Amino acid sequence: MALTVMLLNSACLRGRCCRHQVLHPLLGSLLSDSVSKLYSSYRRPGTQPEKKTSWQNTDFSLKKGFDVLKTQLSMLKKETEDYLTGPGGHPFSQYLLEQTRVLWEFRSQEDLNKWVISSDVEIGGKSEVYLTLGRNNQAALLYGTLNTEVPRDGETKYSGYCSMRAKPPVGSFGRKKYYDWSNFNCLYLRVRGDGRPWMVNIYTDPYFSHQKDDLYNYFMFTRGGPYWEEIKIPFSKFFLSSRGRVQDDQHPIWLDKASFLRALSICTLGFTIGDKVDGPFQLEINFIGLLNDRAHTEEFAYETYEKNPRA
Amino acid sequence: MNPHAKLIFSLSLIMGTTLTISSNHWMMAWIGLEINTLSIIPLISKSHHPRAIEASIKYFLVQATASTLILFSGMINAWLTGQWDITQLTHPTPSLLLTTAIAMKLGLAPFHFWFPEVLQGSSLTTALLLSTMMKLPPITILFLTSHSLSPTLLITLSIISTALGGWMGLNQTQTRKILAFSSISHLGWMTMIIMYNPKLTLLTFYLYSILTTTVFLSLNTTKTLKLSTMMTSWTKAPALNTTLMMTLLSLAGLPPLTGFLPKWLIIQELAKQEMTPMAVTMAMLSLLSLFFYLRLTYYSTITLPPNSTNHMKQWHINKATNPSIAIFTSMSILLLPLSPMILTTI
Repeated sequence: MALTVMLLNSACLRGRCCRHQVLHPLLGSLLSDSVSKLYSSYRRPGTQPEKKTSWQNTDFSLKKGFDVLKTQLSMLKKETEDYLTGPGGHPFSQYLLEQTRVLWEFRSQEDLNKWVISSDVEIGGKSEVYLTLGRNNQAALLYGTLNTEVPRDGETKYSGYCSMRAKPPVGSFGRKKYYDWSNFNCLYLRVRGDGRPWMVNIYTDPYFSHQKDDLYNYFMFTRGGPYWEEIKIPFSKFFLSSRGRVQDDQHPIWLDKASFLRALSICTLGFTIGDKVDGPFQLEINFIGLLNDRAHTEEFAYETYEKNPRA
Repeated sequence: MNPHAKLIFSLSLIMGTTLTISSNHWMMAWIGLEINTLSIIPLISKSHHPRAIEASIKYFLVQATASTLILFSGMINAWLTGQWDITQLTHPTPSLLLTTAIAMKLGLAPFHFWFPEVLQGSSLTTALLLSTMMKLPPITILFLTSHSLSPTLLITLSIISTALGGWMGLNQTQTRKILAFSSISHLGWMTMIIMYNPKLTLLTFYLYSILTTTVFLSLNTTKTLKLSTMMTSWTKAPALNTTLMMTLLSLAGLPPLTGFLPKWLIIQELAKQEMTPMAVTMAMLSLLSLFFYLRLTYYSTITLPPNSTNHMKQWHINKATNPSIAIFTSMSILLLPLSPMILTTI
């Protein structure tokens, strides 16, 4: 009986029919010839239709492999040299003496390539966002049009956001890189806005995937004038939100393992506009830096309350 | 934290430690270790900060694995020799397993990667418990089984620990991570001498505990979590800063402070056992740790900070200095002249 089943199974396999049903349900779809996904095949309106899978797009040639290996080894060598120099690749004296540090300056296309722009087109909306270099290559110009028209897919209720986010730093061999921002307590931005309020987001790549939607936000209100303004946002003001909802259990950002998106291990910084007002927007950013304001002694701006008070 | 909960966790810690150090059955030793692990987890994750939760999870995973390996080695020994006595670990396989498990428990290199992260995620008081009290049961087990463990493996672990503890502590800017690497380095010294004179291991551990307690309590008073805060900590408690300098130098092993005693005795014992190259290697590797201790000393006490502080002396600090700091500081600086008395008792 078992032999019969085995023979039937092997015949089915060789015949390449119903292969996905014979084999393990999960593995079957991977082994079959069709480009079927393990998840739902519904595609969101803003996304491009997938004609080829990601692994079919990859170039597996030996030459490319060697080039990639050479690049990664040179990055590893640089990282070792930085480690020998001191914390964060700078000498110890610099770590102790520095009170300001410029993180991003927008002077060339290469600086712009470190940022990614996105908008509600991903969910089917109609906002537009563009990122270019400003006049005289002195600033980044983030501009576009916000459109709060809700995409008609039956499940989205709100729309209308545009954002610019820094790419997370990657070390050699794809490892995550961390920075030490514990010497600073303020974010310092030189911007020229158009009067619209922006939200500054800091994403800290958490250890657990449960917290992957955690974001630390604060608002940046810009003036519309022709003058540049220097905005200083202390890290103690950032509040925690997850998937856009402000959390009850608040805590301050820890900055010692900073990678610009994560808190403490800050991984990325981002700017979002989503003030529910249709129309054009524009933000010029000269530089983004860090500041150690010794007069600012606040540890955390928000007090927590007891969530289940007795009586 | 709720005081009742705190009491239960503290009593469990004491009970678990006592259970392990007084047991002679593998099962009881394992139970004590597990009780210790379970009671320190809520203390690490007390603040509910994501980093604290991360630290508690990392701690739990490593300690649970190590406890499993300890129990497994005891079981294999019981299978092969027919008895569960801790001191009768005669077969080489369980000995090897036990050494690996104890190395994981203590944070000996190359099983040390969890230690700085866990210490960084916990508060200074909990970090103190992790560095001192949580190390006592595994060291006791190592002491009881030292005669049957592989000397080569122990020497390798100790040299790697001392080297890595020194090297990796050099680039650190967070005080808790620096103390974690200091702990790893000291554990290397303790492991080196355990085959020849286990009592010296215990002496080193006790003196290291006193020194570390002093440092942690001093840092807790001034709330010093990073080097830049350390530079301005003299405004909060100038006298404490001075004694912190002496304690750090004692931790570095400089005579005529207490910390010199274990290093001196270990080097002497190694020379007696004709292990002079090992002694020289250990002494040279401890120079790396000396570098960062000296750096801490310079930044905390000897040099003034480059930035201006808001006030000359912060007369109002949130909490009063713990009186036990005075006792521990005296012990960590002044015990060397009592070494003949200590030597006769070990």
